[in-house]
Amino acid sequence: MPQTLSADIVVVGSGVCGALAARKLALAGASVLMLEAGPRITRDRIVHNFRTSPFKSDLSKPYPNSVFAPFPDYAPENNGYLEQAGPYPYLPQYLRVVGGTSWHWAAQAWRFVPNDFRIKSKYGVGRDWPISYDDLEPYYNEAEILWGVSGPPEMAKYSPRSQPFPMAPVAKSWLEQRVTDRLAPQFEVLTNTCGRNSRSYDGRPACCGNNNCMPICPIDAQYTGGISAQSAEQAGVKLIPQAVVYRLEHDAKGRITALNYYDWNKTSYRVIAKTFVLAANAIETPKILLMSASDKFADGLANSSGTVGRNLMDHPSNSLAFDVDEPIWPGRGPQSPSSIQQLRDGAFRSEHAPFRIDFSNSSQVASVTAEAIAEGLTGKALDSAIRDRAARRLSIKNVLEQLPDPNNRVMLGEGRDALGLPKPKFSYSFDDYVHRGMGASTAAYEQIAQMLGGTNLKHSKPGQYSNNQHICGTLSMGNDPTTSVTDSVGRAHDHENLFMMSTGVMPTLATCNSTLTASALSLRTADAILGKL
Amino acid sequence: MKLSFLLSALLTAGLGFATTAFAQDDSLVAQGKYLATAGDCAACHTSDGGKPFAGGLAIATPIGNIVASNITPSKTDGIGDYSEAEFARAVREGVRRDGANLYPAMPYTAYAKISDADIHALYTYLMQGVQPVDVAAPETKLPFPFSIRASMWGWNLLFLDDTRFTPDPARDAAWNRGAYLAEGLEHCSTCHTPRNFLMAEKSGDALSGASLGTWYAPNITSDPVHGIGGWSVDDIATYLSTGRSDHGSEAGGPMLEAINKSLSHLSPGDIHALATYIHSIAAKAGQVAPGDTAQAAPLDDDVALMNGTASAGANLYADHCSTCHQAGGEGGNGLPALLGNAALRRPVADNVAMAILEGLTPRDGLANSQAMPGFGQVMDDSQVATLTNYLFAKLGDAGVQITPARVAALRAGGAPSPLLALARDGMIAAAVVVVLVILALLIWLLRRRRAA
Repeated sequence: MPQTLSADIVVVGSGVCGALAARKLALAGASVLMLEAGPRITRDRIVHNFRTSPFKSDLSKPYPNSVFAPFPDYAPENNGYLEQAGPYPYLPQYLRVVGGTSWHWAAQAWRFVPNDFRIKSKYGVGRDWPISYDDLEPYYNEAEILWGVSGPPEMAKYSPRSQPFPMAPVAKSWLEQRVTDRLAPQFEVLTNTCGRNSRSYDGRPACCGNNNCMPICPIDAQYTGGISAQSAEQAGVKLIPQAVVYRLEHDAKGRITALNYYDWNKTSYRVIAKTFVLAANAIETPKILLMSASDKFADGLANSSGTVGRNLMDHPSNSLAFDVDEPIWPGRGPQSPSSIQQLRDGAFRSEHAPFRIDFSNSSQVASVTAEAIAEGLTGKALDSAIRDRAARRLSIKNVLEQLPDPNNRVMLGEGRDALGLPKPKFSYSFDDYVHRGMGASTAAYEQIAQMLGGTNLKHSKPGQYSNNQHICGTLSMGNDPTTSVTDSVGRAHDHENLFMMSTGVMPTLATCNSTLTASALSLRTADAILGKL
Repeated sequence: MKLSFLLSALLTAGLGFATTAFAQDDSLVAQGKYLATAGDCAACHTSDGGKPFAGGLAIATPIGNIVASNITPSKTDGIGDYSEAEFARAVREGVRRDGANLYPAMPYTAYAKISDADIHALYTYLMQGVQPVDVAAPETKLPFPFSIRASMWGWNLLFLDDTRFTPDPARDAAWNRGAYLAEGLEHCSTCHTPRNFLMAEKSGDALSGASLGTWYAPNITSDPVHGIGGWSVDDIATYLSTGRSDHGSEAGGPMLEAINKSLSHLSPGDIHALATYIHSIAAKAGQVAPGDTAQAAPLDDDVALMNGTASAGANLYADHCSTCHQAGGEGGNGLPALLGNAALRRPVADNVAMAILEGLTPRDGLANSQAMPGFGQVMDDSQVATLTNYLFAKLGDAGVQITPARVAALRAGGAPSPLLALARDGMIAAAVVVVLVILALLIWLLRRRRAA
């Protein structure tokens, strides 16, 4: 008999979504156990790893990867954790550590725009959400206060607010000032809303522009899931790291009765609880449901609709880099400071994908140096090329909405990890809605480049899109149990005491980074668990 | 003078609804509000997230929590029924309306210096400018014998000097204003003056530096080496209003709290007056640091860090501190240098360890208000000691070091007091108990730590 643990509520996954909801449940008086497949990590260790690593451009590299709770790793070569069924490879990055993937991010804390919740009825594409912007608005506020979100008041005309941002926007870098001034009024460039302090907040300092948001903010001015997990533990949540959940058990009525996990020695444990919450990201959560297939639920748990793992979406991006006609000095201030909102919504959404245009403020020194060396420059010519280009190079990219497609999916693969658990396998592609949106983006980029006196324009390869690690849709919420996994509060249609807290429950992903919306949804799901909805 | 203010209060009451009385009260309320800020009343009488002046903040002392009272004008739970004379007695003599003694958590020994006119303004503000809150603050419940409030009588006999501030005619108005504020509402000497064996302030060593159990209140006399004799009046004024000085000093702990809540809200004139007075304090060496600073130079561990041979202290510094304070410790872009920092030249290492444990959080809106996060949750006692010792050895006074045990004591809020056990065991005579009560409360007074 394996060792058995028990709690009122067990939460699988310790990222932002699960941890903040676990905190809320514990503060309401529940006994909460939180299981995390990965290890505990500390910020100073990651800072140390980053400084001493030769792979500066790989944002996952400073984070400890383990064969027992592996995550994708692409440098110096693909570690093969993710299997690809094609036609297009899906190559996301995520972390399996206490606190989850938001250890390395730019802390973009976007709200949807109201029409994002009803694109089927409004524009005839994708699907509608079972809830509206107004249903989620109070939870956006709740999440923003917990994270410490800064942003400009002007953002409210895109995403209405019942309360002001907890903090004023972070100070504008020179790059942001110049780009904002020169593109106005044609393009309204706004400082991003993000979990980044513009003043000391919650014991953490203000951003002072280290330009190191990814892979790690070295001073904790940027919110991370590590802080979420810490706040959950302070609220009384019991956290067990290195606990890899591999199966849920159910009774004859379909209620979940227990879960099973391995520690990193492959000793199995059993956890019984009244309520089960899966918050293990939009890839690992479907994997757990599919691994838990039984005689009664032969296609996996919560999967009577057959949509677990399907409708996988992420934000594909194309990009343009060029040299502005004046020095703008990228590399000081946040890496992702500002963006253009006006193409996120409009009648055109019935024809092509909407998108946000992002300005990168990451240091360009490494890339322009590699470029100049590849051109054969040496000596003083090399030196002056580096100085000139590093000061004037501007990178812009989009965050573009991909529509749900049941053929885009995560499945159980054939390969096994060190604990004998299946690796995730993907089927993935882009439709013309995406390609047309990319075309519209490219036209906007060229207009921007022209307004900034751009030269040396370098477009990304047509049809080749980079990925943004905003993994959504695989646990879609909906009112119809035949087409969705979870109901409007994140409860599995098939199991009354099983809930999901994840970007996976988002039926569409709109044009913004997904974590704030998923965190708000999770806090709402916590209210449902507490009987408040 | 007192009579005239009572008279004016009576007149005001008598005039009833006359508009001139309202105008006068409005300015009195504003003046009283300012004085309440100068006296930092809210620091104790407003709890975190609580209603203004409704009390309830539990202040940890070695003998138990002392709970700040409700001083809103609530007639049921506050001071709404206090006459001005009763209010003055509570503030300056530490006696409640019902005749019971206050614990000297209330700094009435310093507030005894407050003039009648300022008491009148404070009273008017608390009665008219503060919303009554009809919620009782929890009662202070100290164990016997500390529970007997009358025991404060003996303490008052020894230490309460109930005389108003007397101006020095040989000094100018600014100096006298500064002295009045420093000795009364701001009560600088409470922390900065060392104590004798009875825990009474050693007046001969006034403001020459003292330990509060955790933080060390440095020498602020005009001693050019051990004090702040090298600072100009403007330097002192800048420090008092911002918590930062170009002389390598950043306020932390209770001093930063005083700057956040009180000093940074004072008028430029009052700050200048305080600085004028402090600048004139007679030089005293006080407790002296070894002065072993010859080796202090920018850190140079780059190669050792990359090839893995760096010391534990160098690694801790690189991973936790260097992003802001820079690889060499020179600071920059508004962030403090550690090389040449005053905290690394104190006679004890406590302030450096405390800053690492608790961080420094200047209030929003202060110039250079960037916060230093606390590392108490992420470093253990041994790591804090290793890092502190590395900083003193490389950047400061190499003769000063700290042990992990001392860090543990600092983390716990200072050395635990034997008073409680002694008193409970009844091993000492009542007279001794009274003295111990005095000692305990003074220790508490020095510490002024908030309960978690």
